[in-house]
Amino acid sequence: MIKIENLHKYFHDFHVLKGVNLEIKRNEVVVLIGPSGSGKSTLLRCMNFLEMKDKGVLLIDDQLIDSDKKKLHKVRENIGMVFQHFNLFPHKTVLENVIEAPVHVKKMKKEDCIKIAHQLLEKVGLADKADVYPDKLSGGQKQRVAIARALAMKPEVMLFDEPTSALDPELVGEVLQVMKELANEGMTMIIVTHEMSFAREVADRVFFLDQGVIIEQGTPNELFDHPKHEKVQQFLRHVL
Amino acid sequence: MITLLYVKIFIYLENSLDTKRKVVVKIDKFINSFIQTFNGFVGATGMTLKLTIISLIMACFIGLIVALMKLSSNSFLNWLAVIYIGAIRGTPLILQIMWLYFGITHIIVLSAFWAGSIALAIHNGAYIAEIFRGAIQSIDKGQMEAAKSLGMTNSLAMRRIILPQALKRAIPALGNQFIIGLKDSSLVAFIGITEIFNLSMSEAAATFRQLEFYSIAGIYYLVLILIFTFIINKIEKKLDTGRR
Repeated sequence: MIKIENLHKYFHDFHVLKGVNLEIKRNEVVVLIGPSGSGKSTLLRCMNFLEMKDKGVLLIDDQLIDSDKKKLHKVRENIGMVFQHFNLFPHKTVLENVIEAPVHVKKMKKEDCIKIAHQLLEKVGLADKADVYPDKLSGGQKQRVAIARALAMKPEVMLFDEPTSALDPELVGEVLQVMKELANEGMTMIIVTHEMSFAREVADRVFFLDQGVIIEQGTPNELFDHPKHEKVQQFLRHVL
Repeated sequence: MITLLYVKIFIYLENSLDTKRKVVVKIDKFINSFIQTFNGFVGATGMTLKLTIISLIMACFIGLIVALMKLSSNSFLNWLAVIYIGAIRGTPLILQIMWLYFGITHIIVLSAFWAGSIALAIHNGAYIAEIFRGAIQSIDKGQMEAAKSLGMTNSLAMRRIILPQALKRAIPALGNQFIIGLKDSSLVAFIGITEIFNLSMSEAAATFRQLEFYSIAGIYYLVLILIFTFIINKIEKKLDTGRR
């Protein structure tokens, strides 16, 4: 469903991604791990064009996505994204956050959107918070609203950019739980995370990124228990 | 209260400045002048308000458009905004008023009122543009990213997500600019619009009682500003500008 060939990205002189190749199939859950600064987040952000690739090929559903800025927002409608810092809209209630894009981007009927939004909030366990403003929520609740907001667009793939890194440790679990359920439902997911046990549990495949290239990939079993590359072994020794 | 305070201050000033003449200004004389010119000054206050409100509304539109131009990726619009703000902030308001009223009469003849309003609008617009630009830039860039990730176009995200937050954040600075705008409207006296300052000038000139009439004008301005401030504070409270 997503295919990336020889992707390069520069920030001025800094060569962040140095030829990344990967292919992600429908319904697959893929986890990107690696040391900080390895380009995981940048790779993820290239997939929905929050960063523009400098070189390489990006195919979504076998369609070549070029950098035609006028079409990018159409592409993004099908790609949900969850951010490290939630980025909820503070001037809107939880419900308004969730219905904002379906109503104003997809031009769906407001009543229908509200119905869907209530179902989604139920799903992430926040049915009672619909009319609350985001500043009254805990970090874990905010992130679950952000997931509901992304799901409201009925995306075909969800990108998670370190969704639990900004959370207090005791709030990590509730967010991971929602993500697990989503994975079980067959959502295609690409996740950048430092939660190794979570990665091991939900991932179909794990990619290890180091200095802008994928140096090892495999099932969680292969990568966590029998890492081949020395850098991966070293990294896992530190985090596990 | 305020009236009495003013009278006391100027009695003191007059006495200390001109002890030889021993001018004694009586409070009842001052109050008499105040009452006699009350109708005139109420009319003049109406003019000041009309000028201020019309020009500030126009200034807000100009400010918003110029702020967006300055933030746009189009270098021509950028350049235009920079020149506008530079030219307006770089020259005195009185010059801009004179330029519009007397200076370009061979191109377009404006009534004094519209020359004054437009000059005030263009002038305040430049400052308001910078207020809006700052407010827009102060919104976390994650907001734009989140909006885009949901499929919004740039302009939709600006309208639905960024501007509502930015305008709220701009209100304290905007209120300050409105107060400056109200006081600066006094400069249109020099193209013959009968507003508060102009009336006080002509009354003072006719009676040679400068201190008295400029003090009266001061009272009118002070009351207007107090009302303005009150309204702005109410709006700030209502919108809870402290909250993100």
